[in-house]
Amino acid sequence: MVDRSRIDAESRVPLDALLEMLPGGFNAISDIVQRREVVAGLQAAVAAAVPPNDRVTREDRRIPGPDGAPDTFVRIYRPKDVQGTLPGIFYIHGGGMVLGSIEGEDAAASLLCERVSAVVVSCEYRLAPENPYPAHVDDCYAGLTWMARHADELDFDIKRLAIYGASAGGGLCIAMAMMARDRGFPAVSYMMPIFPMLDDRNVTPSSHEITDVGIWDRAGNIQAWAWYLGGKEADAYAAGARATNLSGLPPAYIGVGELDLFRDEDIEFATRLMQAGVPTELHVYPGHYHASEVFAPDAELSQRLWKGRVDALRRALH
Amino acid sequence: MSARDKIDPASLPGLDALLAAVPGGFGAFHDPIERRARLAAVLSASAAGLPANDRVVTTDRMIPGPLGAPDTQVRVYRPAGVDGTLPGIVYIHGGGMSTGNIDGEDAIAAMYCEQLQCVVVSLEYRLAPENPYPAQIEDCYAGLQWTGLHADEIGLDRERLAVYGGSAGGNLAIAMSLLARDRGTPEISFCMALYPMVDDTSTLPSTHEITDIGVWDRDTSIEAWEWYLGGRAADGYAAPLRNPDLSDFPPTYIDVGEVDLVRDETIAFASRLIHAGIPVELHVSPGSYHASEIFSPGVDLSNRIWSLRIDAFNRAFGK
Repeated sequence: MVDRSRIDAESRVPLDALLEMLPGGFNAISDIVQRREVVAGLQAAVAAAVPPNDRVTREDRRIPGPDGAPDTFVRIYRPKDVQGTLPGIFYIHGGGMVLGSIEGEDAAASLLCERVSAVVVSCEYRLAPENPYPAHVDDCYAGLTWMARHADELDFDIKRLAIYGASAGGGLCIAMAMMARDRGFPAVSYMMPIFPMLDDRNVTPSSHEITDVGIWDRAGNIQAWAWYLGGKEADAYAAGARATNLSGLPPAYIGVGELDLFRDEDIEFATRLMQAGVPTELHVYPGHYHASEVFAPDAELSQRLWKGRVDALRRALH
Repeated sequence: MSARDKIDPASLPGLDALLAAVPGGFGAFHDPIERRARLAAVLSASAAGLPANDRVVTTDRMIPGPLGAPDTQVRVYRPAGVDGTLPGIVYIHGGGMSTGNIDGEDAIAAMYCEQLQCVVVSLEYRLAPENPYPAQIEDCYAGLQWTGLHADEIGLDRERLAVYGGSAGGNLAIAMSLLARDRGTPEISFCMALYPMVDDTSTLPSTHEITDIGVWDRDTSIEAWEWYLGGRAADGYAAPLRNPDLSDFPPTYIDVGEVDLVRDETIAFASRLIHAGIPVELHVSPGSYHASEIFSPGVDLSNRIWSLRIDAFNRAFGK
């Protein structure tokens, strides 16, 4: 049981409203297709509360998927009225490997595009349980390499390429950094995994603590990992916490909430990155539940989270 | 790769200036009196670059020390021209338990007083090796108690009383939170412990990584713990990472540099507080060495470190 008085007061308002509408949270919806629709509806409702970001342009493209797999999709964001060569950010949406979409995180991708002043390429990928691991990493790697190979056409500086993702997108962000290192392409200059999903074992204290916040709780996480792995044993690309070699990874920025199931696995991973000699910035925020900045975009805490990320990306890329 | 290669390039000139004034770093001076003089010279040189802060008013007071021990000194800071009750910080200087004093961190205490519009009470305490543990924590507790008891006189809001310190001061800020909890008074509403010394075992990876930066290296740290403990086994106040009970601790802010010997023990301690259900804000800054924001003032990294602390204090004080 989480003491709900520990939740940041402003961030708790939309959470309580969500739980009133949807007791148990969206992970209580057992049918995954219906769960995806409900989450997409929630994301659309949050997005509809503010005018769409018209300081950026968007272009959707169909690109080749991995060998033998269907094509996949990317959305390219560019800030309007900005001169000069920009850095690039490869953006990977979250959703526990089982839901989520480019569209669902359009607001966050455009925010980074505008405030960091970067070309952002947001990547679609196949979802579990219909498509278990490694569909996700293969699709994302296809997107990442496509972005790198089209640097001239997309008009960004290939020497300043970052990867960003939150939650499952954070896990995939780290998987992409490891794949790029191991396969020798592309060179990634920075990574920003936000409250990344890294450990399939569900053994840390926080994985036991967070059972009823209502966004990403223990039962939903166990189910998501089972769907993602599809009966396979997790390797380092599936579950970053299992990686034994973290050397040679790009400088990292990791942020996580104190009331997040992923808290302990993320702190542990950040510590291991530092011990492997990877420059790592780590921020742990009290009162912050999983993705609270998405559900409570106007909360002071949320604005602080975004400012920290934007400032760090600007330092790394400009 | 030397740990030095991981330091923020903009922060290196500050470190090099320190090493010019203290050849070989603080650890090269094994005589505590000489080491204290070197630290005081470095700190006064860095503060000497600043005009005296005339937006705050300071008063030095001698107060009763712990039972059977000498009187001790505190310096009370108040924003100039501001009357009334303000939130307060009990400020505990650093220096490895064996060096440092109120004067050495005067500019920082004054900065908090001014920026936060709060009362700051900075504490002197006896130093090791001449005075080993528990002289430091008992002197600090005397200062903390004095502050609580004289809250009305110095215009301090008892419900918004924070403890603050870096390095050894971070250890002592944590020890004060534990002592106040265990002895029942005063009520501490917030603890800000920066790169605190919390583990006497020198076993974690970062204690092996940082051997030659010159500020707080492995040999220096081992020697400091020996001086502090004076042959005793560390308990949960001397080395708070050993404390089995961190419940009912005040909400806490912790930061540490990635290139700091105390990095791993700091993260471990923050994690343990979190596991005990304590609200904890933790920031780890790549490129920052031990106290780099003090020795390399004005650079972007240092400004960011200070700004996060100021913002956190403002939130803790309800501003």
